[in-house]
Amino acid sequence: MTVLASVSLATFLVTGLAATQFRSQPLPPSNRLAREQALRQSVNQLEDQNRALKARVQTLQASVKSGEDESARRSSAAQQVKTQLDDEKTVAGLTALHGPGVTVLLHDGSDPNDPADRSLGWTVHYQDLQDIVNLLWASGAEAIAVNGQRIVPTTAFHYAGVNILVNNGSRLSAPYTVTAIGDPSSLATGLGNPDQLAELKSRSRIYGLGLSWVRSTRVSLPAYDATFLVKYAQPLS
Amino acid sequence: MISLIGLALGFLIVIQLRSQAAVARTLAAQDDTSVALLINDLNRANNQLIQQTAALSQQEAQLRQALTAGGADSQAIEKELTMLREISGEAPVRGPGLQIGIQGSIMDFELQDALNSLRNAGAEAFSLNGYRIIGSTPIISRGQNLLIGGRSLSAPFTLLVIGDPEQLQPAADLSASTLQTRVQVNIQRKTDISITDVIASRPLIYAQLGR
Repeated sequence: MTVLASVSLATFLVTGLAATQFRSQPLPPSNRLAREQALRQSVNQLEDQNRALKARVQTLQASVKSGEDESARRSSAAQQVKTQLDDEKTVAGLTALHGPGVTVLLHDGSDPNDPADRSLGWTVHYQDLQDIVNLLWASGAEAIAVNGQRIVPTTAFHYAGVNILVNNGSRLSAPYTVTAIGDPSSLATGLGNPDQLAELKSRSRIYGLGLSWVRSTRVSLPAYDATFLVKYAQPLS
Repeated sequence: MISLIGLALGFLIVIQLRSQAAVARTLAAQDDTSVALLINDLNRANNQLIQQTAALSQQEAQLRQALTAGGADSQAIEKELTMLREISGEAPVRGPGLQIGIQGSIMDFELQDALNSLRNAGAEAFSLNGYRIIGSTPIISRGQNLLIGGRSLSAPFTLLVIGDPEQLQPAADLSASTLQTRVQVNIQRKTDISITDVIASRPLIYAQLGR
């Protein structure tokens, strides 16, 4: 039902958007204003609901964990599986971690206001975050977070117009902070390699887009703030 | 219908990004298109979270039932373990999805963009030319080849994706449309794909538990 509602909403929005984009006659100013306010109010409501749902997920995760702990105390079979489960949770990003590493800082540069340059090269795009995360994995990172959102196996970056979203509808805003745990010098060497992030580094020079990193003896990464659902993949025995 | 929405969204986003003169990310300063797309995304995310709460409630009930009866249900724990091993690429998996053939060389960022949009469309497992790819698998171009987790792979490529073919198709179509000017891409829906390669979890050397 909710999925259906969402799909029909999307259809409605897309139709509405297409109309907004292509209609030549503008709406009367009063309607426009009301519509703008209604749209922004919807975002606020949905983001409130998003936060409440995440809190609910975390509460449920805590009660599942206490059920698992109790089961492990009662049965050695359960104890054995639970030890493996705890390791697996760490691998999947469901555990907070700390350690040495690097912090990468990114912020938008300045708009050149050049009619000949429509590249939007002065802004940070989701692909830039994706490239940095990939380079950090390649340079030996053990765990990564972006603006406090843990990168997990299912993480995807998504853009909704000017917004960048990650994980379950978390909206990221500039400045962006990418934090990674690992050998600080390997991570910094990877980032400093002139062959890597070449396009981003040149945009940093041209537009004053901020790109810098610092090594640290201790960075702290939160656990993933939700859980995973597997609907289609079955174990292959 | 869904692929139509995907196509329409993709098209609008392109227009949007091209016509956007000043980019502001605070809500008040955003254009209507960005706000509407955000509403669409938040709806989708909230639906996912509702499904997560349902799954967790069920798991909790299963654990409590055994505890109330005086025992312990190790199978309920086993189920979660299996799910996490699938997510982390440590268990072989099968399921419906797409088989995507790419008949020429592609760049690292092109593969990353494709994987990213397929994950947004709910992809649960990937393999490229038989090798498992997970979120933390580094993808780097080395000449015409792709280094995937340190292994050098060359064209032609076969990307297997497990997930809902209905949802995956529009994401794959969008990626293919950007590649197809150079290389031939074919996308086939499959009812049963097997991904047998697994990834051994790396021991943590620098990271320690807790914040």
